[in-house]
Amino acid sequence: MPVYERGYRHWEHSGGHAAPAWWAIARRGIAEPLKRRGFLLLLVVAWVPAVVKAGILYFTWKVGELARLLGGSWTDITPEGFRAFLFWQGPFVLIVLALIGARLVTRDREENGLALYFARPLTLIDYVAGKTAIILFFYFAVTLFPVYALSVFGYLVTSGDVGVEMLLLVPLRATAFCILSGVSLALILLALSSLGRRTVFVVLWWVLLYAGSDGLADIMAMFDARLEICNFPGMYENLGSLFFSAEPALTSISPWFSLLQAVILTLAAVAVLRRRIRPVEVVS
Amino acid sequence: MNAGALLQADRVSKWFGEVIAVNDCSLSIGPGVTGLLGLNGAGKTTLFKLMAGLITPSQGRIEVGGRRLRRDVGGFRRVGFCPESDALFDWLTGREFMSLMLRLMGFPGEEVRARSDRALGLVRLSDAADKRIGAYSKGMRQKLKMAQALAHEPDIIFLDEPLNGMDPVSRREIIDLVRELGGSGCGVVVSSHILPEIETMTRSIVLIHHGKLLAEGDITEIRDHIRNQPTIVALHSDEPRRLASFLAGRDLVVGVELDDLGRVVARTNQALSFYSALPGWLLEHELAVSEFETLDDNLQAVFDYLVGD
Repeated sequence: MPVYERGYRHWEHSGGHAAPAWWAIARRGIAEPLKRRGFLLLLVVAWVPAVVKAGILYFTWKVGELARLLGGSWTDITPEGFRAFLFWQGPFVLIVLALIGARLVTRDREENGLALYFARPLTLIDYVAGKTAIILFFYFAVTLFPVYALSVFGYLVTSGDVGVEMLLLVPLRATAFCILSGVSLALILLALSSLGRRTVFVVLWWVLLYAGSDGLADIMAMFDARLEICNFPGMYENLGSLFFSAEPALTSISPWFSLLQAVILTLAAVAVLRRRIRPVEVVS
Repeated sequence: MNAGALLQADRVSKWFGEVIAVNDCSLSIGPGVTGLLGLNGAGKTTLFKLMAGLITPSQGRIEVGGRRLRRDVGGFRRVGFCPESDALFDWLTGREFMSLMLRLMGFPGEEVRARSDRALGLVRLSDAADKRIGAYSKGMRQKLKMAQALAHEPDIIFLDEPLNGMDPVSRREIIDLVRELGGSGCGVVVSSHILPEIETMTRSIVLIHHGKLLAEGDITEIRDHIRNQPTIVALHSDEPRRLASFLAGRDLVVGVELDDLGRVVARTNQALSFYSALPGWLLEHELAVSEFETLDDNLQAVFDYLVGD
């Protein structure tokens, strides 16, 4: 039967509302890891600190300061306490983002899939936005969403006595901080992913950047405190002081400088992405 | 722009550093199937990618439906692209892959499933739609690439080596599908280095050599323009000597001989005129010809004459 009798006809827009291209990429990228049991288990484990904090928060309120003394500062029902909580989530951020983000561009390049994306009405911005949204979702899943849950829980446990600070300001501060740090981390991770041909190397670079720079900066800071500047996760923790009105996490580096550092690294990542993400590989 | 042209390339050049891959090519692609031919390194792949909007020309312009694709990405809705590489996402099922590709084309959710099912049906892949692509055979992967290229019903489709790795039955199905697509008014540009494959799909070709456009059009017309290589026509007749003697006296014929098979082999520099005149001559002079074949009016011969290999 001829193809046109089998339903082939030239494209006419149906008039239906279509989701933007970046959302199509994000949606598929978010759905895929959620099918894996191991990954779901990791996400559950990443919520354990939030559950523990919720428990301590409950006892702090119900039993008094005893539980707070046992729990340390990160259990504080204060913006500082929530900042501390976010950075206690660091290992989960490291692992979850490595599992999700490292392969996002690498895999498309490995499979020459970029040509399939860019033979469609899709711009580089759509592509990067879609991939960034995937990383952001999982970053939020281990940072921001637990903060939301905790603030609602805290509000309920204290019967509203902690008031607006717990229910509104903490989530707002956390949202602003997580969006800034998440976008920056996502773009830097995507840039790393676009530089690699093999996912395993990208994971390695990411671990070196995230955990390695932390350890290295601690050692170097023993000789000169200003060398804390090399601490990659510390940079985000430090600029977090601006959002949570807390003491700087890095004693010798201004949070504003850390913010500038993060902006410069993010712009460098964008430049790398612009250069590396092309519909086809060009061999010079 | 040529009337009816789906794609128009105007003095297009593309260079990479100091290497010029495509040099000042102008061509137009209309409805029907067009074969893009060239030796390895001739610039065929670069021209293909330029036409499909995957790279931008260093000079000149290419328009599809009046739109320059990379500048106006909305134009990609009218274009289908089937890459040569195994550019598929193995972790998805065939249906999920189609769904992603159609959503990226801008179709709303309710239309995605219907289009996906129809395209998978066209390439006879419906039964495997819910299998992971990683478990697909090479031929099935090729079919899926075809399906994603035509699911949005584009005006022009670019197929890069579409028959690679296919078994004979699938090959036949895809060839038929390509011809039907061409017949439905769709422009189909097929790039292949296997000439007989192209010849089964079309007689319209674009030939590129050393980055330059060497020939464009119908194989027979191109062949007719190769004046330094007369077209060789073999005629089977009960009276070969009489036929040979008659043909030898015609202006359109530059040489006649009898071959070992008893056929009259005529050479002409104006094949199309010869083909037009032949029936009249035979009727007028009561010459019987039982069989007629052109020995070098085929793609391979045209390719060899033009490329010189």
